[in-house]
Amino acid sequence: MAAFSLSWLTSPLSIVIIVSLVIGLVMVVLFGYTSDQKAIGIAKDQLKAHLLAVRLYRDQIPVVMGSYGKILRGTGRYLKLAFMPLLYVIIPITLLMVQIDRYLGQTPIPVNAPFLLTVHMNGGDALNDATLNLPDEITTTAPAVHIPANNDVVWRLVGAKEGKYEVKIAVGGQTVEKTVCVGNDLPRISTVRLRGQFWSRMFSSAESALPQNSPIESIAINYPDRDIDIAGYGMNWIWLFFILSMIAGFIFKELLGIQI
Amino acid sequence: MCLLALCAAGATLFLSCGHARGTAASPKMIILGVDGLDPDLLTKFMAEGKMPNFARLAEQGSFRRLTTSIPPQSPVAWSNLITGMNAGGHGIFDFIHRDPKTFQLYFSTSKVEGPKHSFSIGSWVIPLGSGSAEQLRHGKAFWEILDEQNIPNYVYRIPANFPPISAKGKTLSGMGTPDLRGTYGTFTFYTDDPTAAVGAVEGGEVVQVEVKNNRVATNLIGPDNSFRKNSPPATEPFTVDVDPLEPVARIAFQDQQFVLKEGEWSGWLPVEFQLMPVIGNVKGICRFYLKQAHPRFQLYVSPINIDPKNPALPISTPTSYSSDLAKQIGEFHTQGIAEDTKALSDGVLDDKEFLEQSHTVLAEHRRAFDAEFPKFHDGLFFFYFSSLDLNAHMMWRLTDPQSPAYDAALAAQYGTALEEFYEQIDQVLGEVMPKVDDNTTLLVLSDHGFAPYRHSFNLNTWLLNNGYITRKEGVTGDPNEPFSDVDWSRTRAYGLGLNGLYLNTRGREREGIVEPGAQADALLEEIRQKLLAVRDPKDNSQVITRIDFASEAYQGPYARSGPDALVGYNRGYRAGWKTILGAFPADVLEDNTNAWSGDHCMDFTKVPGVLLSNRKIAAETPALTDIAPTILGTFGIAKTNDMKGQSVFQAR
Repeated sequence: MAAFSLSWLTSPLSIVIIVSLVIGLVMVVLFGYTSDQKAIGIAKDQLKAHLLAVRLYRDQIPVVMGSYGKILRGTGRYLKLAFMPLLYVIIPITLLMVQIDRYLGQTPIPVNAPFLLTVHMNGGDALNDATLNLPDEITTTAPAVHIPANNDVVWRLVGAKEGKYEVKIAVGGQTVEKTVCVGNDLPRISTVRLRGQFWSRMFSSAESALPQNSPIESIAINYPDRDIDIAGYGMNWIWLFFILSMIAGFIFKELLGIQI
Repeated sequence: MCLLALCAAGATLFLSCGHARGTAASPKMIILGVDGLDPDLLTKFMAEGKMPNFARLAEQGSFRRLTTSIPPQSPVAWSNLITGMNAGGHGIFDFIHRDPKTFQLYFSTSKVEGPKHSFSIGSWVIPLGSGSAEQLRHGKAFWEILDEQNIPNYVYRIPANFPPISAKGKTLSGMGTPDLRGTYGTFTFYTDDPTAAVGAVEGGEVVQVEVKNNRVATNLIGPDNSFRKNSPPATEPFTVDVDPLEPVARIAFQDQQFVLKEGEWSGWLPVEFQLMPVIGNVKGICRFYLKQAHPRFQLYVSPINIDPKNPALPISTPTSYSSDLAKQIGEFHTQGIAEDTKALSDGVLDDKEFLEQSHTVLAEHRRAFDAEFPKFHDGLFFFYFSSLDLNAHMMWRLTDPQSPAYDAALAAQYGTALEEFYEQIDQVLGEVMPKVDDNTTLLVLSDHGFAPYRHSFNLNTWLLNNGYITRKEGVTGDPNEPFSDVDWSRTRAYGLGLNGLYLNTRGREREGIVEPGAQADALLEEIRQKLLAVRDPKDNSQVITRIDFASEAYQGPYARSGPDALVGYNRGYRAGWKTILGAFPADVLEDNTNAWSGDHCMDFTKVPGVLLSNRKIAAETPALTDIAPTILGTFGIAKTNDMKGQSVFQAR
């Protein structure tokens, strides 16, 4: 008997589909619990009534104008009712998406493909001091490019073997590390390692902060963006996620009888 | 149980029908179209043991010289092959044609036009409708006829098929496909050398830049932006950060960055030009070459090719094929003439750099071949290679000590470069031959051969000196406008294109003065006799060995649309670069010191192509127009009435 493989479940497309369905469901349920369903229902009914009035009494300008005013007020009331529940939904989902993006936003560096490691310093003096200490599997393929105008040093590297490596950058008597992912797996990728910048780190880095006294402000790697192939068209996972989670939300809203 | 048996029988029948083609009985055909494969060079390399696969094919099957087209130019020659007709039937007479009323020049094989109607808002131009790309070759292509008979076919980069005609099979357009700027290929060269000649050069543009704080900030130059008044070129900014000490630089544009060492090429990089915010973007691909970082900054950027993954113009059938192929083999040149010969001629690239670029082109073709050939099981497989042609044009001088462009030191380094490309084509044939069974017909052919191009003959200067052209007195012509200072009321004949000689005919040309008929015939005969008598004062060589009249050479509905006569130059001679565009250099004969030193736009009898097959070729002197009937005949299809040739396997 042929073995039944579940490996497809770990493909990026499957992950996006599953995550979208689950988040669509969670969004609807969370919205249902945190919102005043009765008040939302009334606000939507009233909006429908005023819209109907605009169509029915279109030859009576005062009625139409009055209905437009009520539609505006009703829309404001509806948004007010939906605002807090949406906030409850959006904050955790945004944080969740940031984490998912670490896996699905970029691909690891392909084996034997060149990539750039850009070290940004806090001053020009340290530029010429910076040196690289590489694991055996990673090599430089060009001299470093020093860019005084940006306080950057850029190295072109290549990874010979699939894996997760630590590249060491020594400058000003200190050594810091940056993780490099090589291969075609689905690892957690950090495009940049930052010093300080709490909010930037929250949204764009998956590594610990660089030491506060380091002359290095950031270390970045230009990982390729990951495109998820849908019927021959490549797209970022976020767009697919938005489309699928919206569809899932509308379906679950009907199934669970929740007013949105 | 009965139902099960019936299903099984049905499935067996269905499967067997589905595979009816491709069984032992069905004919198959493989054609390798090798542009510029020269019979003399091939014979020499086979004798030297450098092309063992060709030698084996010639020994086991047949090897003939293939009569080329009149004139022997690739767009004409391949159109002859495609349609089985001569230029009178397919209407392609040269690389360039002219409008006899306006003397505007245009590419002979296709026309790309913007929308016909538009309106302006401020500096913006809003189009009403879309533009169009139109193929100008007439007549049915052989693969159209195969499609009608449901014979599967694959046609890779055959010239004179842009935009590709509607087809059931996969086709990719080749020679004639423009770059994103609508030209045959325009490179850009950025330099801070104050002595560089800045501005448009032949086939490119030189841009002066400033290296400030080790940084160059400049623009990639894209297509003309028809959404803007006066259609200025669309541009995209990019920066180059040069290391202060090391010969290396970081290049950044749009959302991409990469590092190049001096003497290093980038891979293909996508670039998007914004023509109008939100709605009007066009995508291309280009390669960078850091020629020098210090002391002078020199950066070459290839012509912006149409992006095969997002083609701005149609380049394949089905439309998705170019993208599918790019996903399989990586991005590739889509521009028809991919080898950047102009950059070598202009001195922007040297021989080593040009050869690197040429090898990249051939490597792309071989990757495409390796991806597609294993899928061939049935019908026709046609695959085109450009490398021998373009490299013979550029490298001939290094094999020809008589060439004014010969350089002994360069010859010692690169004198075997052309030979190495021949050897690679032999390797491709080596991959093909094991797949050739008893039901497979293999043709290896070229559209023309090659000859040295040592001296330029300026036909318009000769016509001027002999009183056939009169220029306006005291008027200086616009060098960008052909014949801008010609007094047409006193001009009887003019030259245009690589071999074209036209009469200034009443009723056809805007200010024609030569009466069609007897007067025109007599004038043509008079010019023919004089041209055949022209001798090179250096060694008394005959410069022109043949003049063909269109009335004799062409048959078909377009026979009188092209030149009235075709000038056939002797080996070693060709029309000069300026005369072909309607200009008047001072001397009739000039030494050709350009890197473009081999050619074939000559007397067609002196530059035949080749035809090899695994089957015995019955025709002693087969011609290009025989190939379409040969293809059809292989699949049991009768040739059409307008085809001039007949199957090469038929006794004549």
